[in-house]
Amino acid sequence: MTALWDTTGTEVVRELAAARRSDGVTSGLALTLVAVVDERPGARSTPVKAVEDAATIAAAAHPCRILVVTRSPVGRNTTPDRLDAEIVVGDRLGPCEAVIMRLQGRLALHAESVVMPLLAPDVPVVTWWHGPPPEQISTDPLGVVAERRITDSAQASDPVAALRQRAVDYAAGDTDLAWTRITGWRTLLAGALDGPPGAQPQPVAASVAAPAGDASAVLLAGWLAARLGVEPERTELPAGGLASVRLGLAGGEEIRVGRDNGTALLERTGREPRTLPLLARTLGEELAEELRRLDADQPYAAALSAATGVTGLTGRPAGRVHTWVDPAPAAAGTGEPA
Amino acid sequence: MNPLRDPQDRRLPRTPEPCALVIFGVTGDLARKKLIPAVYDLANRGLLPPGFAVIGFARRDWDDRAFTALVKEAVEQHARTPWREEVWARLAGSLRFVSGSFDDDDAFDRLTGTLDALRASHGIPGNAAFYLSIPPAGFPTVLKHLARTGLAGGAGAAGVGTGGVGTGGNGAAAGPGWRRVVVEKPFGHDLASARDLNTLVDEVFSPAAVFRIDHYLGKETVQNLLVLRFANTLFDPVWNNRYVDSVQITMAEDGGIGSRAGFYDAAGAARDVLQNHLLQLLTLLAMEEPTSFDAEEIRYEKLKVLRAVALPDDIRAGTVRGQYRPGWVGGQRVPGYLDEKDVPPSSTTETYVAVRLGVQNRRWAGVPFYLRAGKRLPRRVTELAVLFKPAPHLPFQPADVEALGHNQLVIRVQPEEGVVLKFGSKVPGTAMELRDIAMDFQYGEAFTESSPEAYERLVLDVLIGDSTLFPHAFEVEQSWRVVDPLEQAWAGTVPEPYRAGEWGPRGADALLAADGRAWRRA
Repeated sequence: MTALWDTTGTEVVRELAAARRSDGVTSGLALTLVAVVDERPGARSTPVKAVEDAATIAAAAHPCRILVVTRSPVGRNTTPDRLDAEIVVGDRLGPCEAVIMRLQGRLALHAESVVMPLLAPDVPVVTWWHGPPPEQISTDPLGVVAERRITDSAQASDPVAALRQRAVDYAAGDTDLAWTRITGWRTLLAGALDGPPGAQPQPVAASVAAPAGDASAVLLAGWLAARLGVEPERTELPAGGLASVRLGLAGGEEIRVGRDNGTALLERTGREPRTLPLLARTLGEELAEELRRLDADQPYAAALSAATGVTGLTGRPAGRVHTWVDPAPAAAGTGEPA
Repeated sequence: MNPLRDPQDRRLPRTPEPCALVIFGVTGDLARKKLIPAVYDLANRGLLPPGFAVIGFARRDWDDRAFTALVKEAVEQHARTPWREEVWARLAGSLRFVSGSFDDDDAFDRLTGTLDALRASHGIPGNAAFYLSIPPAGFPTVLKHLARTGLAGGAGAAGVGTGGVGTGGNGAAAGPGWRRVVVEKPFGHDLASARDLNTLVDEVFSPAAVFRIDHYLGKETVQNLLVLRFANTLFDPVWNNRYVDSVQITMAEDGGIGSRAGFYDAAGAARDVLQNHLLQLLTLLAMEEPTSFDAEEIRYEKLKVLRAVALPDDIRAGTVRGQYRPGWVGGQRVPGYLDEKDVPPSSTTETYVAVRLGVQNRRWAGVPFYLRAGKRLPRRVTELAVLFKPAPHLPFQPADVEALGHNQLVIRVQPEEGVVLKFGSKVPGTAMELRDIAMDFQYGEAFTESSPEAYERLVLDVLIGDSTLFPHAFEVEQSWRVVDPLEQAWAGTVPEPYRAGEWGPRGADALLAADGRAWRRA
């Protein structure tokens, strides 16, 4: 583990190479994971530890190079340019090579100058924003260079609006952790509909019970709409997460999956209720699921489109072109790094 | 078609249809240490359908609750994935026990009743896999009862079923549902007994419904061998006798026979591992490319190459048998084979076997395949090593290249699953001196998520109905055609002793030295 204070990008590259030689290295890299944990104005600290823990779990399944990037917001205060870096190979982050960097000053607007030479050669790049998603990913060079971009709408102040913005801003290869969080639900619901061919139940109605601002519930409803061709009813709950989903079948029967802590109760008219595990997963496990495939996620696009009403998502090209936005005039008070 | 299952949706796992797993011999070691924990791990990973149940069948005077306690203990001690109360709660409600012996008519009738009851309680429409974790002697009786009660599903009809969710397949799952049988090795004692066993099973179950477990085929690295060969262009042009000098397949164990003398002494290393694991590994390494990853396609290619396997002309000269003597292994003093519990003092059973085989086809003619397996060797390792021919001309000074050996591509199956590429490179310095460097790609380190146990993969495939990873009856019989002549030639001979902790008897080194080669130290 090497810590470099007030250093340069070139020095970081050199130290990483030295660390790989001396500390042992993962043989075989599948991707580079760029974890963006930008400082938020007014917040006292950044959740770098949470990011490190999650990346460690994900790296256990996917050998990768992890670059954790923290950028201080560029506001009216003139912070001098400064780069601090920590290089961890093996050690506390598990079997991967990691560089944890903090960028301050106007250097923060040019993070790619530090990050690009650190990307592992010729392997896909995945950028993950742990925090509110950027309005437009094309303004963040770290998002432009990535083949897969993982946002987390649940961390925005208005998750449903953020999800809508994700749809407006969508490009093939985008995905959101709100979608990952419902994989367990979707597995149960799909399993509930399995049956011998010819006797397969066909849902004609659906309803989802969840709190109003829950992005995952919105996506689940979108998925049901996209797959079943029905418009799910929304039952609003005061608090908690996604609580239950009901599917009404053609013959009047009903299937209901309801959550109670770590278990789900699967009920179907005329059958005994079954309890099944529906475990909440850690951030690292969700991230590991996201890293399994790096191509465009069409089911996500379909669900997002149905949930937000934004059409034409599947026709959007993969990849973006970087658009430069100078944050200094726009950042009066908000200090969002572009 | 299930509207919620989009073929493009890769996040939803492939799960079996609602079904039951009936385990005969559920109190045995295999069931407790491998099978039941595998079921728990599958449940933990979310790979079991909502309608799933396990029915244990054994000659204990238990009820469902006592059986549940056995299952819980097995899971707590041997499961790979962490304990989760919710996952256990779901399994605990789906365990049933039928008490009875194998020739008990009533017990089998009760089993039928238990399976029927699951239709209403768990929504399981009759699909069942029967796992025979019992000595082969018990097969005829159990199969007879499965046929009598109709549990086996009737003549060939319900053998295949719909093949699991999301894979499409032939219908006809209404009615009794699919029925499959799973058998463990040993698949017979020789060709004749293997054939008898196959005939016996085929009378009751259709061939497509029989799943023979060779758990090596469930290992990640073994499956990755096929991917390495057939997904990449890099290794394809050199995978033949123009570039390959020899192949060494090693399966070394540092353990002894433990308490398995009863079985082992009658079998020996050749029947225990050469006939199944080693020959399967050889097959995967040497086979031609299948045109698709369909179970049938792969099976045809495997059989084709198995039929081309050639034994040495002089079997006694081309093979070596060994038996371990007392010695030190891993810092501990260990007894010799003849001193092990229940081994007769005059036993001539081999605990080590090394053979030189050939594959008589265009691709491999002239390439010796050296296979060895043994117990009480210095360390536990299973690997396949492909050694390449030396360059026909080296433009370096002869003295500088003395240290170069064969280029090698080694697939390490266990431990530390991975691939090693060994080739010559320069010793840093001013002179042009060359030595071999081994580039090591370890799955175990890189993909450190502990790979699913082989049994998890195989049990899931049985329930889904995918027979790709299960040897076919013909493969089993053909493998016996390779081993039977060996056993016949060895009759009356005494294995060469080797000290426990050595890499085998001296004769094994002489076997390769006669061809101008040496064993790779695995």
